[in-house]
Amino acid sequence: MEDNKKKTKPKKVRVPRQPMPEQNPLRRAKNFEEVPYGYPADTAVVEANRCLQCKKPLCVAGCPVNIDIPAFIKFISDRDFTSAAAKLLEQTALPAVCGRVCPQESQCEEVCIVGKKAEPVAIGRLERFAADFVRENGGLPKPEIAEPTGKKIAVIGAGPAGITVAGDLARWGHKVIMYEALHLTGGVLVYGIPQFRLPKEIVKFEVDALTKLGVEIHTDYVIGKTETVDDLLNKLGFDAVFIGTGAGLPMFMNIPGENAIGVFSANEFLTRINLMKAYDFPNYATSPIRAKHVITVGGGNVAMDSARCALRMGSKSTVVYRRAREQMPARDEEIHHAEQEGVDFRLLTNPTKVVVDDNNRMLGLEVIKMELGEPDDSGRRRPVPVEGSEYFIEADVVVVSIGNSPNPLIPQTSPDLETTRWGTLVADEKTMLTSKPGVFAAGDVVSGAATVISAMGQAKIAAEHIHKHVMGQPLTTDSDGEESDADS
Amino acid sequence: MDMITLTIDGKQVQIEEGGTVLDAARRNGIEIPTLCAHEDLPDFGACRMCIVEIKGMRGYPTSCTTPAAEGMEVRTETEALISLRNQILEFTASGHPNSCLVCIHREDCERYRPRPSKTGQATRCAFCSNRPDCALREMVLDASSNELNLPTLYSEYKIERDDPFMDRDHNLCILCGRCWRICEKIHGTPAISINHRGRWAKIGSAFDQSYVDSGCTFCGACIDICPTGTLTDRFARWYGLPELSWRSTCTICPQGCDLTPSVDGGQVTGTRMTAYDRDARLCAVGRFAYAQVMSATNRLRHPMVRENDELIPTDWEDAIKHVAGALGDLKGDGFLAIIDEANTRENVFVYEAFATGVMNGRVARIASNCVLDDAIADDIRAGRVKSVLTTGDHLDDEILSKIEHLFVMDCLPSKATSEAEAVLPVAILSEVAGSFRDTAGEVKKLSAAVDPPGRARIEWEIIAELAAAMGSDALRYDSVDAVTKAITDDAPPAPLAGSPRDNLKDLPSRYRGHYLADSAAGLKAMGLPSSPKPPPKEITGGFRIIKKYEVVPNFHMLTVEAPAIARHAKPGQFIIVMVNEESERTPFTLLDWDAQAGTITMVVEELGRSSREVADLQEGGVIAHVTGPLGVPIELPEKGTVVLGGGCYGIGAIYPVARALKQSGHEVIIALEACSAHTLYMAHEFRELCDEVIIATKDGSEGTKGGVQELFTSVVERGTKVDLFIAVGCTFMMRMVAETTRTMGIPLQVALNPIMVDGTGMCGACRVSVGEDTKFACVDGPFFDGHAVDWDELGLRREAYSREEVEAMPQYAGGNGTAAALTVTAGCAAKL
Repeated sequence: MEDNKKKTKPKKVRVPRQPMPEQNPLRRAKNFEEVPYGYPADTAVVEANRCLQCKKPLCVAGCPVNIDIPAFIKFISDRDFTSAAAKLLEQTALPAVCGRVCPQESQCEEVCIVGKKAEPVAIGRLERFAADFVRENGGLPKPEIAEPTGKKIAVIGAGPAGITVAGDLARWGHKVIMYEALHLTGGVLVYGIPQFRLPKEIVKFEVDALTKLGVEIHTDYVIGKTETVDDLLNKLGFDAVFIGTGAGLPMFMNIPGENAIGVFSANEFLTRINLMKAYDFPNYATSPIRAKHVITVGGGNVAMDSARCALRMGSKSTVVYRRAREQMPARDEEIHHAEQEGVDFRLLTNPTKVVVDDNNRMLGLEVIKMELGEPDDSGRRRPVPVEGSEYFIEADVVVVSIGNSPNPLIPQTSPDLETTRWGTLVADEKTMLTSKPGVFAAGDVVSGAATVISAMGQAKIAAEHIHKHVMGQPLTTDSDGEESDADS
Repeated sequence: MDMITLTIDGKQVQIEEGGTVLDAARRNGIEIPTLCAHEDLPDFGACRMCIVEIKGMRGYPTSCTTPAAEGMEVRTETEALISLRNQILEFTASGHPNSCLVCIHREDCERYRPRPSKTGQATRCAFCSNRPDCALREMVLDASSNELNLPTLYSEYKIERDDPFMDRDHNLCILCGRCWRICEKIHGTPAISINHRGRWAKIGSAFDQSYVDSGCTFCGACIDICPTGTLTDRFARWYGLPELSWRSTCTICPQGCDLTPSVDGGQVTGTRMTAYDRDARLCAVGRFAYAQVMSATNRLRHPMVRENDELIPTDWEDAIKHVAGALGDLKGDGFLAIIDEANTRENVFVYEAFATGVMNGRVARIASNCVLDDAIADDIRAGRVKSVLTTGDHLDDEILSKIEHLFVMDCLPSKATSEAEAVLPVAILSEVAGSFRDTAGEVKKLSAAVDPPGRARIEWEIIAELAAAMGSDALRYDSVDAVTKAITDDAPPAPLAGSPRDNLKDLPSRYRGHYLADSAAGLKAMGLPSSPKPPPKEITGGFRIIKKYEVVPNFHMLTVEAPAIARHAKPGQFIIVMVNEESERTPFTLLDWDAQAGTITMVVEELGRSSREVADLQEGGVIAHVTGPLGVPIELPEKGTVVLGGGCYGIGAIYPVARALKQSGHEVIIALEACSAHTLYMAHEFRELCDEVIIATKDGSEGTKGGVQELFTSVVERGTKVDLFIAVGCTFMMRMVAETTRTMGIPLQVALNPIMVDGTGMCGACRVSVGEDTKFACVDGPFFDGHAVDWDELGLRREAYSREEVEAMPQYAGGNGTAAALTVTAGCAAKL
């Protein structure tokens, strides 16, 4: 059998990885349209045929939500795109989102067998194709919903983690009520990730699917303020609470002049443009940030999003990052796109001071050159300032994109929720149970700012254990056979 | 003409016979104060400020209406005159909101708030768009005694926004009569006059009908000549005094009227007539729409070319290469240029030369306000035209479907721009230098005074560059003068049917084929057509308004159904409101809540767009989003005496705090400030609730003269032992209170009001410096130690978007929903 396969399949490996049509970079830098156009059906089938359908696929383990990748790809090769999407939905509530924003190069595609000799199969693009196909063709039939269990679960935060948990629990027959602090659902998918990377219609489609599953969604509802976790459990009769509130508290640099007019957190910069639609001002009332030159400080995906948004708002755009290119945490593809579109990179450079005028308006940024020293805790070489190398960059806006920590509103009002010194919630990684009985958490609120898919991976675990918890089953069994349960 | 010699203040002066005493004085450098007089108006004698003493004449005649006579001995500055003038000024000012003029904090206030604040109706100078240019204000401030002892008679007129282009605030009117006199001078029969008599005398149209129906042609002269802020240009008013203005010519229609555009911050914010004179009058389009078309936010800014069925913005180099390449292939094969005559001669000339000389094609000239000729349309339908370059919006869906290759050089988006192979954005009106030939044949010079938006460029330059890129030498011009010189025999443009300066129905409705009313919403009210607009996003769910009324001018009380918030609200907390799906997330203070009824109450001061949206809401309507309760409840001392100071919306904000303090057994003293007695609210409720209510008004019309800082000082000075001060109000008030109480050794809590976006700690827009720390007002506040706040930083950060806030102000006519609500609930205003 193995030999047979080898004889019939190898040709396909020689088909090159199919490129995705993209906008011309200089043109796309001025608009908010999505950058890659997505595979046409025929290209998707060609790409799907490159998959070896490995008996022991490594890609599935590489996926934080363990999508049965060979199976969904097989459906695409057979041109059964609907089944491909259905396959995806068994493991992910957000295939159209993940296909776009997942760092596949360091997950499923990194371990793809095809990738050992050639370019790996474009799993992300295929996932996106299948999800887009069903969305554009009327969606999937409503999935089966288990008999109502009579259990009621509160999901706090309508971001990737919350959507995942809500979808699973609703399918398993629980009554799910979701609370979102902002006026729109989607969390970081809506306020953070820009339109050109993730069209908002896609997020809306995914959230609408939740409503069809019977999930009740309350926007404008700030848990910790409008209602507390204790009230949810004790007064409002929830059997369990899931916290997926993400990492929304922006960090600043603590340098002089940081409260100048013109210094923004990446959250504010992106929220104005994405959530509040300031690019359509004054049809939308939120003021846009109009600048001649925007400097983004940081090297993550959010920094790339900010820098590319700045270009689209008509500004000159520069990224200042204290380490080297290889150490940038952003996805290669995002850095590459930013470079292509004309973002200027000043690497091994760190801001030291925001220079302001008499009216506290920013005139520019004083920066210092850095060099790489000994490795730090993260294993990356620590950047150290080069003495006397300060210089000035003229700019009217700086976007600080050096990370976020979790919003403290919920821990503040639930003192029995244990937090780490970074403000993240303490949760058992096998069950995602927090220190508070009946309360589970997953995503950035547990792990600190990370990726959409890792949040979803944790959320899958949380959903499973919330189910066990409300159904009175033991939560999990560790290697010693000892039970650890929510109420123990 | 015979000259008359007379003596003014001991100086012998001469004036032509028929001149007035005022003329004689002014001509000879002798100042006599006036309000109603204007050099371009006939004498009137309404304001009485110009009174003089004339030997041998009884009383104090007005110099503006007294003809000069031979040998007259006139005195203009006697003690009696000065005293009388001051009294006249007092009477005038008593009918005009004047608290800022007599406020002891005026200079500090204007230092920290150099521009007047946007608002609904102006209740004082600090909220009057005319402050930088107000004749009355200047006179009061210049008068030897600026004490105004007469009480203010505030008329309580609602601001009138139902007419296009103008906001009218009759509370500010001093009945100088300049407006109707200029109207009469320019139009013969004036559209406006003084209606009613005595206390209720008010400028208006006959029977108070809409100005649109009154014969008003919207020339704007009344607005421009008004010495107070009564009549204002809705679009321009909050931009402030223009930086520069110059004389130019309107090229929207072929009449080519002279006008004076004015610029603020690189943007044309308004146009006026060049003189107060019948011949110089403008039509509504020239006076109002001109600036709004130029400032339209949907102006095309970047060149765009089509790629994969999508128009993608690009740079000029790429665009020129792309278009030149495409046009090169289409040369001599059924090319048609559709050229608007509403353009400079130079642009039209170069377009024509390009279409015929370079492209070997044809030209269809579109006269101003006209549409595509049927014959041309038939040619396109019949397939005799292969490619089209259009400079405006002239092609409907059916015609568009017949055009193989379409190129657009225009200023605004249209159906054509969405179908085109390439769209090149162009400069218009005051962005373009050159010349214009009017219907009468006269050539007028146009100068460019502002830059076009984004990357838009001058049309003849784009065409010349395209021609060069296509290898043609025919259009090599190095300056606009070179193009002008090349024009030898251009015909005057086709005249316009009708007279837009005299009839609203004759107004041009299009500019380059685009409906003018799309850019200048006021024109819709005049019956001009406009494109259908997508309706605002539907509100699903939302928060129902149970009760709403205007408690004092600009302050709106709303009770809204929000059970969850009502259950959890605590004193000192706030909410974030989005009236519509397109609104900003705006923080407002909670005034009260009722957990049982599931309602919350807030007080909202109408300032900019977001609070105007709230003000325009009606009882029974819904608010799209209300989020809360946000912020940390105020921390209160265990016991003792607390003095709470409130001003503006802060009066409402301190109410729940006072109640909580009272309930926990504190001694509570309430210090309320208002600019004037008629803007003070809730004093009665506080008297019922608290131990003592003390009041300060800026004009002294009730209580102490001054503000919360004076009240706080007085409490300490009389020997009351105070454990805590709390102050809530505008940044200026809280800052002044902080400065006053800094050395008293009594803690001060203030509720800060920086700009917020999400209100939940996510964005950091609301960061404030308190002591050594940066705090987020939304999650760490709103209450902070007033003595540790960096007030300079807060004040400046609050001004960060002042220009965008003005741009966001609504321009449509009407939408003042408060009037109706007021009549229903006027009784409640007194109660609460």
